Amino acid sequence: MIELLAPAGNLERLKIALLYGADAVYIGGYEYSLRANAINFSQKELEEAVIFAHKLHKKVYVTVNIVFHNKDLEHLKEYLKSLSQMRVDAVIVSDIAVIKTITDNNIPLEIHLSTQASTLNYASALFYKNLGVKRVVLAREASKEDIKDIKVKTGLDIECFISGAMCTSFSGKCVLSNVMTNRDSNRGGCAQICRWMFKISDEEEIFSMTPKDLNMSTFLEEMIDIGVNSFKIEGRMRSIYYIATVVYEYRRLLDKIMSHTLDVKDIVYSNLIINRCANRESVPQFFHKMPTDEEQYYLGREEVSNQDFLGVVLEEGNGEILVEERNYFKVGDVVEFFGPNMEPKTVKIDNIYDEYKNKLEIARHPGMHVYLKVQGVSKFCMMRLKVFDKNNYL
Amino acid sequence: MENNYYVIVTTKTLSEKLKESNITFLFPLEGFSVGYPTTFKLEEITCRNAYLFINRILDHNSILQLEEILANLPSNIKGIMFDDLGVLYLLKKMKKKIETILFLNHFNCNYLSIQSFLDEVDSVVISTDITRKETEEILKKTKSRCIVYGFGYISIMYSRRLLITNYNHHFKLNASRKNIITNDLGKNFRIIENEYGTVIYTGEAYNGLRKYKNTMKGYLINTLFFTDEEVIKILRQDSKLDELYPYRYLSEEETIVRVKERNI
Repeated sequence: MIELLAPAGNLERLKIALLYGADAVYIGGYEYSLRANAINFSQKELEEAVIFAHKLHKKVYVTVNIVFHNKDLEHLKEYLKSLSQMRVDAVIVSDIAVIKTITDNNIPLEIHLSTQASTLNYASALFYKNLGVKRVVLAREASKEDIKDIKVKTGLDIECFISGAMCTSFSGKCVLSNVMTNRDSNRGGCAQICRWMFKISDEEEIFSMTPKDLNMSTFLEEMIDIGVNSFKIEGRMRSIYYIATVVYEYRRLLDKIMSHTLDVKDIVYSNLIINRCANRESVPQFFHKMPTDEEQYYLGREEVSNQDFLGVVLEEGNGEILVEERNYFKVGDVVEFFGPNMEPKTVKIDNIYDEYKNKLEIARHPGMHVYLKVQGVSKFCMMRLKVFDKNNYL
Repeated sequence: MENNYYVIVTTKTLSEKLKESNITFLFPLEGFSVGYPTTFKLEEITCRNAYLFINRILDHNSILQLEEILANLPSNIKGIMFDDLGVLYLLKKMKKKIETILFLNHFNCNYLSIQSFLDEVDSVVISTDITRKETEEILKKTKSRCIVYGFGYISIMYSRRLLITNYNHHFKLNASRKNIITNDLGKNFRIIENEYGTVIYTGEAYNGLRKYKNTMKGYLINTLFFTDEEVIKILRQDSKLDELYPYRYLSEEETIVRVKERNI
């Protein structure tokens, strides 16, 4: 089984992730999840998420991965029971309190060990396997040899991150946020202090710990060969455009690997798209070597923002589409549509109409609804500025 | 000295100078510890009733090396304090009869986790990331089997990355001593790197001695950055201890989770 696992910070993003090709999503409820400042899911939305995913024969994993304090334990059992009743496919946990609550109360929930537990060796994985864990999300620091060894010696399902932001620290081993801002990093409040700038001793150059993002596109095939089961994308705080883009590209790469049609040009093209969407450089990190200064930033946040995301298609029919605008575009712009089960489609904008079918030269207000005369594009497709011409790369 | 102390040894001479019977020495094991400039080979650990201190997250290679070491432990090694649960798995597999103390740094913040781990190990070090009130509740529910972080600089970040080496390389700097980082507000933190990673410590020593009502197994004392003489004074509970070391870390104010929870 090869699974593409995507993040979803709310119901809209969950639907996008699944429609764009994720086999499963991981999400958090209002409590007990490490992205406390994401929108997250109410109980009702969790139920809706599971129903939506299961209709597509896809899976939902719920993160219950904070490090619990005494008072957090109060409603844990009831919460876990409710997740079980909703038929979520697994919970992702890091605290043994959650594992024991599930097993001691015979709550029928599959348990996945969170990357927060920083598992890097087979013995640690077997310790958790003996407690009832079925899958381990390995530490992002895992090397190829670590992964191989754990797979061979434990037989556990292995999940690895392939894309997205990295912590500087081992997950769970950093409380810089607690100390500097009182925001609890291990209960979802991380203030990302590792992306701040520091001075070190008497040196003049700024000291930085900021890692570049993770991008494992060049190693996907090797990861499959050594037994990785689930390929995880980071980013529960990310936008629908980010989710759609990254899921779309990794789905394409994994499908090509499985059909033995992957060419290095596919990876080059996908990386251009992914890096532009993430606004940050992304590179492999620990899989094939120890990261050096090349895998870090030293001059602060080097993100370059852009306004590539132009809109999302809300409706289609009669040779036109209704688009909710996200960024300025105008007549004459060359744009690209991409979406579930379709190849990117290039379109030159000839006409723009407002909701009352008045002609416009420019769509300038994010959130406004406009009609475009475009065919072969369906609901949920994303519209972006055309930056890279696929024909130049593939 | 009525309390029991578990003392992490950070100089080659400290264990010779302290002979009190209520002190258990923990030796950072060479190759298996991070954040400690002084580590010990097994043959260097000569005191009776010594404990190993293993705080690295171990990769596939190091867990194999550790398995060999555990198979041939000298008889004076009576216990191990460790972070990686793979160590516990190995000890159980090998049926080793030595005392096991879990130091799962930044975890073990609640009584249920600690009670669960106490089914597996002899004792657990309670996290420093909770308030004194939360710690008291845990102590009450765990029947004297917990160790409380009593004194010393606290590790607040552990990275596998070689952050100082990378920095030197990037800016083409020499490997001069770099041991303090400072944020924009002028707050200092200590930083130590070895080949297994980088650890950032608080800028001040936490003092949690004499603060707990409930009984415990003992206090953990981290002697890093202190001279032997300073450690002796601290353990003998200098009457000015609270005055000299007023830093209470996170023990007095509960951390928040969402930004909107902040009291302004």
